[in-house]
Amino acid sequence: MSMTADVYDRRQDRRPWLKRLADASEPYLYSAPALILIIVVMLVPLVVGISYAFRDIQLLNPFSGGFIGLEHFETLSKDRAFYTALKNTLWWTGASVFLQFGFGLILALLLDKPFMGRGLVQALVFLPWAVPSFLAGLNWSWLFNPVIGPIPHWLFDLGLMSQPGNILSDPQYAMWGPIIANVWWGIPFFAITLLAALQSIPRDLYEAASIDGASWFQRFWSITLPFLAPTIAITVLLRTVWISNFADLIVVMTGGGPADRTQIVASYIFTQAFKALDFGYASAIALVLLVLLLAYSMLIILLRQTLLNKG
Amino acid sequence: MTQQIELSGVNKYYGAYHALRDINLSIPKGAFVALVGPSGCGKSTLLRSLAGLETISSGDLVIAGERMNDMPPRKRDLAMVFQSYALYPHMTVEQNLTYSLRIKGVKKAEAKKAAEEVAAITGLSDLLHRYPRELSGGQRQRVAMSRAIIRHPKAFLFDEPLSNLDAALRVHMRKEIRALHDRLGATSVYVTHDQVEAMTMADHVVIMRAGVIEQQGRPLDLYDRPANRFVAGFIGSPAMNFIPARTSDDGTSLILDLPGAPVLAMDLDLPPGHAVSVGIRPEHLSLATADMPGFNVPVAAIESTGAATFVTTETTPEIVLVLNGRSTVSAGETIHLTFEPKNIHVFDAGSDQRIEVGTVLTQAKTAS
Ligand SMILES: Nc1ncnc2c1ncn2[C@@H]1O[C@H](COP(=O)(O)OP(=O)(O)OP(=O)(O)O)[C@@H](O)[C@H]1O
Ligand SMILES: [Mg+2]
Repeated sequence: MSMTADVYDRRQDRRPWLKRLADASEPYLYSAPALILIIVVMLVPLVVGISYAFRDIQLLNPFSGGFIGLEHFETLSKDRAFYTALKNTLWWTGASVFLQFGFGLILALLLDKPFMGRGLVQALVFLPWAVPSFLAGLNWSWLFNPVIGPIPHWLFDLGLMSQPGNILSDPQYAMWGPIIANVWWGIPFFAITLLAALQSIPRDLYEAASIDGASWFQRFWSITLPFLAPTIAITVLLRTVWISNFADLIVVMTGGGPADRTQIVASYIFTQAFKALDFGYASAIALVLLVLLLAYSMLIILLRQTLLNKG
Repeated sequence: MTQQIELSGVNKYYGAYHALRDINLSIPKGAFVALVGPSGCGKSTLLRSLAGLETISSGDLVIAGERMNDMPPRKRDLAMVFQSYALYPHMTVEQNLTYSLRIKGVKKAEAKKAAEEVAAITGLSDLLHRYPRELSGGQRQRVAMSRAIIRHPKAFLFDEPLSNLDAALRVHMRKEIRALHDRLGATSVYVTHDQVEAMTMADHVVIMRAGVIEQQGRPLDLYDRPANRFVAGFIGSPAMNFIPARTSDDGTSLILDLPGAPVLAMDLDLPPGHAVSVGIRPEHLSLATADMPGFNVPVAAIESTGAATFVTTETTPEIVLVLNGRSTVSAGETIHLTFEPKNIHVFDAGSDQRIEVGTVLTQAKTAS
């Protein structure tokens, strides 16, 4: 009671000060519910997850769970498998994004022209995107399997293979299996977004350019690309982050094998967490991946900013 | 005179829709030709067919002596100014102007010099480093014009280039475009739906309707001798009055289908007993005292712009006349209208085609 009285008194004599405080805090109070919700939903799990990286958490060891500082990171810095995975991640992400983007752009350019049955083709093209990634992985591993799938036999007939074998078990080419599956699966994403961007380019610009004497390629270079650039930047950024985190196809198709040749960081995390059941170490790897991807995103955003400022 | 552009028997179909019907048009070098007609008549289609943005379905298109039917736009060496201007939004004014030159492989310094020269002509010198979004509508229009001029093309094609400007600027640009055309010795094809623009700018006006060329010729010839009722009604503002009428049994006079059936005994040479439509332009009607030849009509409304007074009559169809300056006429009054007989146009009521009127000997007498 005395406190309320005190507050009341203060308010009596120092009203402008309190009022100022109330006014200043008003926007925070209004946004508090949303902010609290965001913090609880987004930040808390993140912090908890990050904290695992500094603790010894092994599912099969009931005495684990203690704080061990940077020990995981020391182990990680000497872990050859991790460096292989890092290299594989670069290869996997680079090849997948590049091919998805390339084919997606070609497909978008083709679909941008009117032709008979375009509606149907558009619907069909976007189908792979609707296939669950695990199903896609299973499907493609069967296609690559010489016992039940046709692809090895085709490659053999074309003389690209000395005998119809399974490339998924060939250490030299195994990575191409998940990459091809990933490209098949991810082309629609690029095709859809790039097609939408293409269709927003005013047609009369192309007409003006062709009257100005520009060939198809010159029009593509001086009109299409500049208009697509922002979309390309943002989709490539998103896909890069997403694909380097995307372990589904690899886990389903090769499990990281043969001999870790297809092990990427994301699938390595999966292996550590659910095969070795070492959650602490898996979290440490995940944290490193997070930092690398953040750095990459920053770089791209900076690059885009400078490009925009220049243009 | 050499023909810069020649169209013979050109047809264009959009699917089953017949957008251009048997178009024949010759444009001499150095001419300024206007294509006019109501919305949807195929003006833009014709212009775009010239540019190569549409392919014609049949007929011949010859530009500077070369058959161009199947030539892609970039090889036709024409320049076009779009209604939307179609400026490249991601390029500066200078880059917009020099785009065609850069494509041709002209050296950078040379292109820059050309851009500066053209900008000096069109008054864009201070704006060369701006982007199109940083320009006013009139300035964008100038950029679009300059982009065409810089190329010294075989012909300029304009698709309603002034329709996005306000009235005052439009009148100003009209003169400027025409002056530029003369200065460059260019050949221009100019699409507009504004017949005043067509009449004032062009040497040769082509009037289109529903994909057909209704009439073409010098502006004043179209005004003086419209070939049919459509052209007569289209050229001139306010539009020509059409009064249903019948020729007398001897074919020498016209009996107007107005109250009191006034007879214009004009000693004409017309097919006897024939249904016709008599056209008189508002500016050719004038007020007269009752003892003069003419006919009486009641007044429905008066509108004055200060410089001119527009009188609308209480008849079916209503008749509009324009009087210079102010007038004391007021609504409800009956006025006596008269006109010079040489100023009437007679059209067949069925085919709407012009009927040539024989020599007019005497002024009209009235029976009403
Ligand atoms: N791509 C197309 N497909 C089908 N019909 C078309 C196409 N383009 C134009 N048309 C039709 O052809 C006719 C002529 O069109 P056009 O654009 O030439 O008219 P216009 O005379 O320029 O009219 P406006 O003054 O309104 O610009 C119109 O009836 C239009 O509907
Ligand atoms: Mg048009």
